[in-house]
Amino acid sequence: MTNIPSDLKYAKSHEWVRVNGQTGVVGITDHAQHELTDVVFVELPAVGRQVKAGEACAVVESVKTASDIYSPVSGQIVEVNKAVVDNPALVNTEPYGGGWFYKIQLSNLAELNTLLSPEKYKAQIGDLI
Amino acid sequence: MAKPIVEMEIEKVTMELPDTKTIRLKWPEGYNPDFKTGQFITVYWPDTPSYKRAYSLSSCALDRGFFETTVKRDGKMGTRIVDWAKPGDKMFVIPPTGRFLPVYEPNKHLICIAGGSGVTPFRAFVREATKRKLETKITILYSVRTTNDIIFNDEFHQLQLQNSQFNFFVTCTRLHPQDPWTGRRGRITAEWVKEHIHDLSNTVFYACGPNELVEFAEHLVLAEMKVPKEQIKTEKWG
Repeated sequence: MTNIPSDLKYAKSHEWVRVNGQTGVVGITDHAQHELTDVVFVELPAVGRQVKAGEACAVVESVKTASDIYSPVSGQIVEVNKAVVDNPALVNTEPYGGGWFYKIQLSNLAELNTLLSPEKYKAQIGDLI
Repeated sequence: MAKPIVEMEIEKVTMELPDTKTIRLKWPEGYNPDFKTGQFITVYWPDTPSYKRAYSLSSCALDRGFFETTVKRDGKMGTRIVDWAKPGDKMFVIPPTGRFLPVYEPNKHLICIAGGSGVTPFRAFVREATKRKLETKITILYSVRTTNDIIFNDEFHQLQLQNSQFNFFVTCTRLHPQDPWTGRRGRITAEWVKEHIHDLSNTVFYACGPNELVEFAEHLVLAEMKVPKEQIKTEKWG
C-alpha cells in the first residue's frame, strides 16, 4: 500500500514538502516513484535559483520515462541532495528520506494552504482511507 | 536463468519525425534470441552502464538479425539517441522481456489505444500479423497532438493496403482550428472506442502511452464495460 506520511503537504503533481519554519524539503511521493519504476537519473536545480510554485525545476528519469518535477512552493533553492544525483535509486527506496530533492527557503507561507493534506492526496490517487 | 546482456552495433538510424528516431541494433554473429512481438529491450551506453532505459521493440519477432526501437527525444537517454546515435555506435542490450503480447487468434479483434510514441509496439503487432497473413483483426486508435506528430504514418497506411484486417485511425488533440486535417479531432473518448467494438467477448484491448491515457483505457474497459481483466493489456510510460 502506498505510503503517505501524515506530516507532509502534497502537490497534485505528486511532489511533497516537509516544512520546518521558513524552510521546506521537497521530494516526490511513494506513489510517484512506484509509477515511474526504477529511477536512473535525477537532475536538480542550481542552489540560489528562485522558483515559483508549479514551476518545473527538476527532472527525474526512470527506465520507462522522463518527468519534470514541479516545485510545490515558491522560494529560493538553498541546498540540493547530491546523494540522490549519485544514487538515483534512493528515490525508489527512500522517497521521503534519503531520496529528497532540494531544500527551499519559502517566500510565501500562505501557499502551503493550497497544497493537499495527506487525506486529500490519498483520495486523489484513489487509495481509500 | 537470466538472459545474457549483449553488445550490439547500431546498423541504421531513421528519423521518423524531427524528435523521433528508429535505431536498428544488429545482432552479433551467432545470436538468435527467442522473443515475442510486443516485448521491450533495455539499453545502455558503454560509458554509462548504470544508466539504463527500457524501450518497446518496434520490430517484430519475425524480423531476424536485428532489433528496432523507436525513441522520442525525452530525457537524457532519449536526447542522446535522437540527437547523437549513429551507425557504428555500440550499445548494450538486455534482451527482450515483457507481457504486452498480441493475442493472434483468428476470431480476435485487437483494439490498440495509443498515445504519442506509445504507438511503437503496435507497429510490431501489425508487422507480424501482416507478414503471417493472419485473420486477427487489429484496429489502432492513435492520439497525437498534431498531424506532424504521427509516427509511422506512411508505414501504417501501407500496412492497411497489405492487410485488410488492419485499420488505422488517428485523432489530433491540439490542431489549430484552421488546419486542413479532415480526420478526427479531440481526445480518445469512450464513444470512439465503442464505435470500433463489434464482438466484445472476442475483443482484446491494448493501451500504451502516457499514464492518463492508459488509466482512461483501464477505467473504460474494466469499470465501465465490465470486461474481464484478461482482455486488457497495458504499458504505462510512468
